Amino acid sequence: MSDVSADGPETADATACSYTEYADGAVPDGFPKTGAGAAGVEADIWDALYEIEDPEMPVSIVDLGLIYDVRVAEREDEDGETKTLGIVEMTLTYTGCPARDYLENDVKCAILASGVDEASVRLRFTPEWTVGMVTKAGREALRGFGLGV
Amino acid sequence: MPDALNPEDLDAEQRAALEELLFRLADDEYVHGERLIEWQIFAPTLESDLALANIAQDEFGHARLWYDLLEELGHTEAELIWERPADEFRHATLVELPFAEGDWADVVLRCYLYDAAERLQLDALVETSYAPLADRVGKVLSEERYHLENAQSWLDRLAEGDSRDRVQDALDRLFPHALSLFAEPEHEAEIREHGFRTMATADLRIEWLETVIPYLESLGLDVPDPDEVERPSARGRDGTHTDHWDELAAEFRRTYEELEAPEPARIGRERV
Repeated sequence: MSDVSADGPETADATACSYTEYADGAVPDGFPKTGAGAAGVEADIWDALYEIEDPEMPVSIVDLGLIYDVRVAEREDEDGETKTLGIVEMTLTYTGCPARDYLENDVKCAILASGVDEASVRLRFTPEWTVGMVTKAGREALRGFGLGV
Repeated sequence: MPDALNPEDLDAEQRAALEELLFRLADDEYVHGERLIEWQIFAPTLESDLALANIAQDEFGHARLWYDLLEELGHTEAELIWERPADEFRHATLVELPFAEGDWADVVLRCYLYDAAERLQLDALVETSYAPLADRVGKVLSEERYHLENAQSWLDRLAEGDSRDRVQDALDRLFPHALSLFAEPEHEAEIREHGFRTMATADLRIEWLETVIPYLESLGLDVPDPDEVERPSARGRDGTHTDHWDELAAEFRRTYEELEAPEPARIGRERV
């Protein structure tokens, strides 16, 4: 976006192009979430989420670091019956993502395919997603696609 | 600082105050985005076509985040965007004005005035008591940083040489409308009391003036006196708008109305 500087090489701490720099936020403790250690239905939901690829890149949304939480809750419906509810909290790489509805629907499908009665997808933007949240497997998939991260 | 609040915690007074705050944020972003996309095939370089299209996409993304929070409080997208009476929109008149025909200085200056104000408004929401809002502010602020940089890099160049007169004309025309960004909300006292915003609107206005005036003057521009300049009768924030707003609203709703309130087309798997 900016003109290339005519003043010679960049200084050591400058980045080549600040407009493609996503990696400046530190990755908070506990991120990315990968489902390691999950059991039962929650593990099944994680497995199903691994099958969903980002619409723009051949990488799983889990390996991209978009999934922030998976849990299963129980609630009583109007008739007093106990229903299981699968809840996924996830983020988007940027707020204007035009595939948001599409992704949310895919995630709901993955939750329901894991055998719960109901599905809920909640968007979260804290912590902010950064490239640092891409898993090792995700980095390899992106490298295969021609993106170095 | 008051305890963090969630939708189920709100009483009627808090809800009214929060909704006013959210409508201002969402409507500003949505209408600003609507105007920006008019430029995306007319900007002076291919790079700036892309930059403006991308900024407009961000603004729609942010509008969607704020409208989401209104939907959590019981509103629907149809009612919020496509069917709400035009005089219930709460955006500032700055963002609804048509561009002076073919005037690149207008869009650059408008973006600068708007983005400088938006940054301050969002900064004052980082510590908001409303948890769903707090979750989203940081992400939006990060994306907004580039908008302001883009506007300033263009302003710095336009203010040199002959094009400065065009920037000055745009400033004379837009500044009175930009002041409407800081018209005090009806529920200002409640917005502050419940911790939804951590700075008073009057103080945000002062901070904005102390930011934009020295910068614009450093470019050799004459900034109208904010306390003396003639103000338009339409203020935007109170639902009064210029005639341009009715035309723009009719235009962006035309397809929705022709298709008789469609459900959006769905791609991919079956909807669940």
